[in-house]
Amino acid sequence: MSALLKKDWFGLGLVLIFGSILISLFKPAFISPFNLYVLMLSVSLMLVVAMSQMIIIAIGQMNLSVGAIGGLVAISFTGLMEVYSMSILPAVLIGLLIGLACGFINGYITVKTGISAFIITLATLYIFKGMNLGITEAQPFYEIPEAVKFFGNAKIFGPIPYLVIIPIIITVLMWILMNRTSLGRYMLAYGNNVQSSELIGISSTKIVIYAHVISGLLAAIGGMLVVCRLQLGTPNIGDSWLLPSFAAPVIGGAILAGGKVDVIATAFGVILVSIISQALVIFKIDPFFVQIFLGFMILLAVFINRYREYREERRTKVFSDE
Amino acid sequence: MNNKIPNFVKTNQFGLLILVIVFICIFSFSTDGFTSRFNIYALSRVVALDIMIGLAMMVVILTGGLNLSLGALGVSAAMFGGWCMESMGIPISITIILVLAFGSFLGWINGFVTVRTGVHSFIVTLATMSIYFGFMTLLTEAEAFRKLPEAFTDFGSLKLFNKYISPLLIISVMTCFVLYYIFKYTDIGRKLIAAGANPDAAELSGISVDRMFIYCHMLSGFLAALAGIMLTARIGAAIPSMAGHLGFDWLLPAFLAPVLGGTLLSGGKVTVFGTMLGAILVTLINNGLYLIDVGEFWVRFFLGIILLGAVLLDRAREYFTVKNSIVS
Repeated sequence: MSALLKKDWFGLGLVLIFGSILISLFKPAFISPFNLYVLMLSVSLMLVVAMSQMIIIAIGQMNLSVGAIGGLVAISFTGLMEVYSMSILPAVLIGLLIGLACGFINGYITVKTGISAFIITLATLYIFKGMNLGITEAQPFYEIPEAVKFFGNAKIFGPIPYLVIIPIIITVLMWILMNRTSLGRYMLAYGNNVQSSELIGISSTKIVIYAHVISGLLAAIGGMLVVCRLQLGTPNIGDSWLLPSFAAPVIGGAILAGGKVDVIATAFGVILVSIISQALVIFKIDPFFVQIFLGFMILLAVFINRYREYREERRTKVFSDE
Repeated sequence: MNNKIPNFVKTNQFGLLILVIVFICIFSFSTDGFTSRFNIYALSRVVALDIMIGLAMMVVILTGGLNLSLGALGVSAAMFGGWCMESMGIPISITIILVLAFGSFLGWINGFVTVRTGVHSFIVTLATMSIYFGFMTLLTEAEAFRKLPEAFTDFGSLKLFNKYISPLLIISVMTCFVLYYIFKYTDIGRKLIAAGANPDAAELSGISVDRMFIYCHMLSGFLAALAGIMLTARIGAAIPSMAGHLGFDWLLPAFLAPVLGGTLLSGGKVTVFGTMLGAILVTLINNGLYLIDVGEFWVRFFLGIILLGAVLLDRAREYFTVKNSIVS
């Protein structure tokens, strides 16, 4: 039990459960099948985006270009199907390749030049977004194959949409990567302390590039999922990803200096953000409040994490066992 | 050390100056209308704002931090000014003082939270960005203030020096000189730099690093608010979307100018005139791209490439200076 209490996701889980019960007591509409369906859709999309940012936070960097990669892949994916009448599978593969390439560019330049990833991804944000606008001239693609539309719309059973399948698989894979593989641990070690991780023989080039490539791939998947959901490919997909992509991992207790991320807590962070956004809509609160709320949530999470660190510091002065 | 080349030539300001001159030459020969009175006047209005935004970011980069909320803060302050003038009928001079105080206060919030939590200012200002912008949209109901006093809007469209230069540019250049003076010759300015360069050492020598960091954020808020007022005067109205969604349109010029100007992202170094030259270069390139007619949708792409090129070049320059200094 006390081991449970120490987990990042435990407190969040409690907040989630009690929050949901409270909201549904006041507004039974909250647990209506339709509302749950909408909630699950928004959770699945943001989950992928949050994971894409989380892996970069793990190595102690940030990726501003997540949304730009998602947008570029989204319009390439739809453009290939509409303009070049390509079938779905090759279009998906090319979309993934573009995401991979974008991530590789970010990682390669960052690690080879030693310039802060913030500046590099700010530049590539404009480059990818500029390519997106240059290709589309700000016009959306509307011709989406029926199968893609079906995937974005249909439900498996009850209120559960097909769209949740991929994000759940990704979350599981990410958990395995961060907790059960040496690559994931190397990433955390690198994020924790670059110098000492190099001293024990971890190749920083490899780690940084891998992390950025995974981030790019996840952003690409996120972009294509949004296409399924919206049933069209608009150039502004990904524009609003920046704040939520950081919100979930931070609320989930990731330390931005790197070296500590929690996949489950990040997933809970995503669900929490989605539930709050949804609740604000149900209570008919001005949508602009959602943004303010998200901002305050991040600040609150930051304060709580800081407090916990402070308590931890005091406790670890006397060595205690697990 | 027995190099014949003067030190100034080795700085990146000098490189920037050359680049600016080269670009002016290229654009004036290859395009019609670059040197026209209208274009130079338009440029001076744009560059004035870019310099101010760049300076606002520079003073936070000095602490080794960032200020993502710059645009949201500037627009919030400008909207506050619009409200003061239009709805409350407060005189212009008092409004400007109020707006600058308001901007500094918002900057103080950024600084206070950053210092107290010890979290990187990136995440703090990411949060305050959406808070400021959200409150601003909520309070103004996304409506613009368009009935500003004429004396105020006239100032924004004033033309000086044979109708070539906007008075806004003079404000920005004067701000540069004031900041240069502060950082170079005053006690507080040196303390700010010392705190940014090596917080531990500064703390040991009796400087309150936390307070200095809060001052930097306040100064950033002050300058962003000033930029907001200038933009309002230029447009002739205070519009919630004038810096894009969440103030994002300001972000690229804000980082480009100081980074091009040679401000270190790790903190502890400011280059006021480098930032000014950086802003001029960005505006020139932006303007030139439109005149060359690359298509407005590709402008963003090229700006990204230029930022990337600039940081890579700067890296290369650093690398070679280090190599040279080892050899000598």
